[in-house]
Amino acid sequence: MILTRLMDNLTGRGEAAVTVPPLDGALRPNRALDEAPVRLKLADVDGLAVAEGALHASSGRALYRLDGGDWTIVRTCEAEITCIAPLGAATLAVALASGRVVIHGGALEGREFATDAACITAMCATGTTLYLANGSATNAPADWQRDLIERNRSGALWRIELTTGETTRIATDLAWPAGLVAADGALVVSEAWAHRLIRIDLSRPAQRETLYPDLAGYPGRITKAPGGYWLAAFAPRSQLVEFVLREPKYRRQMLATVERDYWIAPRLRSGSSFYEPLQGGGVKQLGRLKPWAPTFSAGLCIRLDDDFQPIASLHSRADGDTHGVTSVLEHAGQVYAAARGDGTVIALPAEETRP
Amino acid sequence: MSPLLELRNGTKAYRGVPAVSDVTFTLEPGEVHALLGENGAGKSTLTKMLAGVVAPTSGEIFLEGQKVTLPTPSEALARGIAMVYQETSLVPSLTVAQNIYLSDDRTFHRLRGLYIAGQQFLQSLNFNVDPTALVEALGAGQKQMVEIARAVHHNAKVIIFDEPTATLTPEEKYQFFSLVDRLRARGVSIIFISHALEEALEISDRITILRDGEHVLTAPTAELDREKIVRAMVGRSLTDQLYGDSHGREVRAAGRKVLSVQNLSMGKIVRNTSFSVFAGQITGVFGLIGSGRTEAAKVVAGVLKRDVFHGGQVRLDGRPVRYRVPRPAVRDGIIYVTEDRKLEGFFETMSIAENIYMGALAGGQTKSLTLSMSEMKRIASEWTEALSVRAINTDARVIELSGGNQQKVVVAKALVQKPKLVIFDEPTRGVDVGAIAEIHQLINRLADEGVAVMVISSYLPEILHISDRILVCRQGRIVEEFIGTQADEETIMYAAVH
Repeated sequence: MILTRLMDNLTGRGEAAVTVPPLDGALRPNRALDEAPVRLKLADVDGLAVAEGALHASSGRALYRLDGGDWTIVRTCEAEITCIAPLGAATLAVALASGRVVIHGGALEGREFATDAACITAMCATGTTLYLANGSATNAPADWQRDLIERNRSGALWRIELTTGETTRIATDLAWPAGLVAADGALVVSEAWAHRLIRIDLSRPAQRETLYPDLAGYPGRITKAPGGYWLAAFAPRSQLVEFVLREPKYRRQMLATVERDYWIAPRLRSGSSFYEPLQGGGVKQLGRLKPWAPTFSAGLCIRLDDDFQPIASLHSRADGDTHGVTSVLEHAGQVYAAARGDGTVIALPAEETRP
Repeated sequence: MSPLLELRNGTKAYRGVPAVSDVTFTLEPGEVHALLGENGAGKSTLTKMLAGVVAPTSGEIFLEGQKVTLPTPSEALARGIAMVYQETSLVPSLTVAQNIYLSDDRTFHRLRGLYIAGQQFLQSLNFNVDPTALVEALGAGQKQMVEIARAVHHNAKVIIFDEPTATLTPEEKYQFFSLVDRLRARGVSIIFISHALEEALEISDRITILRDGEHVLTAPTAELDREKIVRAMVGRSLTDQLYGDSHGREVRAAGRKVLSVQNLSMGKIVRNTSFSVFAGQITGVFGLIGSGRTEAAKVVAGVLKRDVFHGGQVRLDGRPVRYRVPRPAVRDGIIYVTEDRKLEGFFETMSIAENIYMGALAGGQTKSLTLSMSEMKRIASEWTEALSVRAINTDARVIELSGGNQQKVVVAKALVQKPKLVIFDEPTRGVDVGAIAEIHQLINRLADEGVAVMVISSYLPEILHISDRILVCRQGRIVEEFIGTQADEETIMYAAVH
């Protein structure tokens, strides 16, 4: 086993393979996100959810509602909002960086639930049960790049019974669970650092079935849509980042000595500074001179069928302006995507996104 | 002034089928003349006639205004016509100098003298190659240089290069182009076959385009651009009759991802290429010869090995696989149907039944532990019936069958293994029109049954006719992807050469 690992490290095979799956088939690149007819500016927008028939978005500490093309603040919280999720038709669960979950609207308006999860990245509800994904046991949501570079697998799933307030940890050892959706008595989780979607049976949470392995990006939030699901991939994978992730000494030194903005790591938006490594120039990669530098950011939303297999995708390419999509959902015949990297919410007709 | 070399109304037919039909070609003194066309357009056959490799079925060759016959390559060389092949004709176990002076008919050669002469000669050509080095130790570019040096040594007035830059690195290409300039300055005429249009546009004085064995146009390079060349290369009418219009047909939706090739590399042929193949869909792969399509497929199937260091990854159903030989690939459900059926596809002196049974044995599909004649006959008759193999019976030897039926046996031998991924490499090459339709039906049926199918073809109408999605390969990597019904010949060809 040790010998195999040593050989793999030497030859770049197995776990040490510095490879990235291609964007082809249903993930064939396009410019659909950049060409969306509706573009609504909202700085630092992160989560999207629908309540009372209206689109809501989170940004910083504020919760916004979209009223006729304008954003209206409907709630300001005590801490940064890390994610939002619908609880029935009129209520939203709002997770905060402090680890608390606040209920907005409906019968439970204003009620708060305290948890030990300080990095809530996604939530979903079934009946009176709210499920939480805690991305990391050691890093805050804003430190997601650090968590990736440290190669942590300390994420967990939690359950809150809204009627009693009881919280229970139901699954551990997840590689930054960043998306969560309930499906057929189970939870489907996007494990960002493992680039996959897995199904966790609530009766046997230790058993995990991989539904969609080896994604070309880091998968984030999942939402139910007519005839399937939408998955937001908040950053693309690249061979350069994969290579760095396999170099422990380099990673440690980079974290200790280089400013976060200039790490070799995926981003929600890159290319804003010429100090960034390898942007806009040639790069010698694995002994070959590549004609362009790998992009650290892009926009990608994946339409999944009921079996969580990709059937279509929306892209913003390296030169686009809809990068770092952290949430995507379908509502009233429109697909909305929150591009946090560019502080924009786009909308395009759902019909146009069908394969 | 008469042309230096002229082929007048040249035709070359193989078994009655013309590879080159009534082509007139002229080469002026000191001219670089690019010869372009799709695979199978007749470029190589035309140049082989001029180099004495094959004799024209009809037509005449004139050298400096005099009618000549060129029965052998050595006769052509003696008259100053040399051909530099894509696959070098050097002797690998001899040194560079020995290869250059190989055909000098002398009883004794003094090795030291050869090396001194070789050193001086190579230096005069500005080639940085060690005359004492064994040819087998040289890179592709240096081998090409030795080939060229050999041609120049024979005082060639005409040098024919067949795809000279296909295996060269950018630096070696630069050296090659400067050599062409020097040869032109010395009055040597050059015929240059290439799939790289930029190269042809850059170094040639005139361009001739062939299509389906016929002359399409000859024009000064200054009057042509890439679009005009591509249109002249692909515009055809005969094939429309065979393959019809691919637009408007339904393409199959992709199923689960069966094969994911990630950053695969194999020497200079396959360069960091990535692609996926999905269940229930036909993925067509188009590329010109030398673009690395076949080699990538062979790595997937365990026929060839990828680079030892950082050779990339192949995932089958999400699981990384690495096959040293084809057998485990076959056991995992990967089948590669070869482009060269005579060499790799079947045992020609064995019967149809034995060949098909061989496939069943390789795939572990047989029930008995020992060879069973009755099982062999049952399997063979099932498959010959299913694929409509036309033969007296299943005991007929494969070599006695027509090309189309031979190909069906190869396909039966593959499909008996119950694959999940089938890679067809040039499935209809050398196959008659009737069998083409049957083989296409079979490929479609496989995809309809949920098998992941990959079809590699150099023939654009075939790719457009059969593919649900089309991948274009150029210089060792997949460079473009099209949905089957949204692509046209010009777009694909543009991606393949641009």
